[in-house]
Amino acid sequence: MVQINFARREVNCKIVYYGPGLSGKTTNLELIHQKAGQGIAGSLTSIATEQDRTLFFDFMPLDIGQVAGMKTKFFLYTVPGQVYYNSTRKLVLQGADGVVFVADSDPNRMPDNIESLKNLEENLKDYNLDPKKIPFVIQYNKRDLPAALPVAELNTKLNRWGVPTYEAVAVKGEGVMQTLKGLSKMIIERLNDDYGKQPAATQAASAATAPSAKAAPPAPAPAPKPAPAAKAPAPSPPGPRSVPMAPAARPAPAPAPGRTSTPAARQHSTPTSKPSPATSKSPGTSKPAPAAKGGGGGGGKWVAIALVILLGGAAAAYFLYFKDKL
Amino acid sequence: MAMGKSDEGMRSSRLVFYKEDIEKIERVLAQFLKSANAKCALLVDKDGHLVTKSGEASTYDMDTISALVAGSFAATKQMAKLLGEEEFSIMFHQGKKDNIQLSLVGDRTILAIIFDDKTTLGMVRLYAGQVASKLGTLFDEIAQRKSEAESISKDFGQAAKSKLDDVFGS
Repeated sequence: MVQINFARREVNCKIVYYGPGLSGKTTNLELIHQKAGQGIAGSLTSIATEQDRTLFFDFMPLDIGQVAGMKTKFFLYTVPGQVYYNSTRKLVLQGADGVVFVADSDPNRMPDNIESLKNLEENLKDYNLDPKKIPFVIQYNKRDLPAALPVAELNTKLNRWGVPTYEAVAVKGEGVMQTLKGLSKMIIERLNDDYGKQPAATQAASAATAPSAKAAPPAPAPAPKPAPAAKAPAPSPPGPRSVPMAPAARPAPAPAPGRTSTPAARQHSTPTSKPSPATSKSPGTSKPAPAAKGGGGGGGKWVAIALVILLGGAAAAYFLYFKDKL
Repeated sequence: MAMGKSDEGMRSSRLVFYKEDIEKIERVLAQFLKSANAKCALLVDKDGHLVTKSGEASTYDMDTISALVAGSFAATKQMAKLLGEEEFSIMFHQGKKDNIQLSLVGDRTILAIIFDDKTTLGMVRLYAGQVASKLGTLFDEIAQRKSEAESISKDFGQAAKSKLDDVFGS
């Protein structure tokens, strides 16, 4: 989950690279590490077997610097792709803010792609996440293989959600940064929709106006830029966008009006939860109660004063009585 | 891709930490370090993000340590389940100079304490138990109070997108 830490002025997001074994997840991270350079990419940590296969996960922090006063970081993880490491994969997936599925374009690996994708869907479901609704992209890797499957076929078999797809040759660094950037933007967009500052006084008004403002993305998306590695024609099955997806072509976060009804986070409150109590409060029902209470409180005060006087008198009489006796 | 409101699983569990809460947590951690004579204390959420730290932590790669702390805790939890336990609430790793103890605080944070031979495991355990309970109470208070004084700027999205273009190339 995105962590927003106002004390440290940090926004931290978790990205998970998922996919079958040997599809190029770790290679993606290695190339990002090389390309992003020092100062942005932190150290790349791998928990791997002696044969250099990922055992638990690879991890690399990516610090993009100050954004609107907040230090913004993406934490990149890969999962072990081999089938029998499912429990580990599931652990790594916990708390993911976005997922890149790295598919292998080799025709012989298609069954592995399908199995891994199915596994991802199941694991996401266990965390109550839906691939249609979370920031999710697919990377078709190894596009330089002579027998690489056409993108249209990959889309038909793997991208039934119509999520953005990117062609890549990870070992050469092609398409790697585009994939990461595409997903990062989706995460940021979503975060901004949920947490964008709205002054309390104008919340009710903006709730009414926001949807129209938000619903104004460039409607028919401009034609996507061709990928550096793009060789295949882009015709896609129903729904999926062509390769690679220009961020603007993504359908807008349409259901903006519904967002205001997001319940407050269980453990940590969120700014989005503010409007509902404010707007749902009915002045007619809440006001009379305090007034009645105020009357009752006044009566209680007089009773207390009377009791103090009575007790004071009794104490004085008692004292005088014993004084005479002594 | 429609990102509607229905995916509450992700949205409702997002973590927000406000400055006033972190200051309280830091005070508790500083007091703990003094009592237990430990080197440093890190509070990490279960997703591997650092919440806050206290003590001599400047030389460590905090992001990676936090990710590994959360990863090893998650792996141990799986191990516990296989053994019929719900969770192991404490983990301890002993080194030649430095040691680290991890203990669960509340539902979703882990306290990592790094200490050397200036103190003992017993002292650390004793005070860690106390601090875990204090932090647990603090988290309950935080959860019940709705602090909405701070929010990210509405320009954040646009600024972040331009930054991503700068960093990754447009």
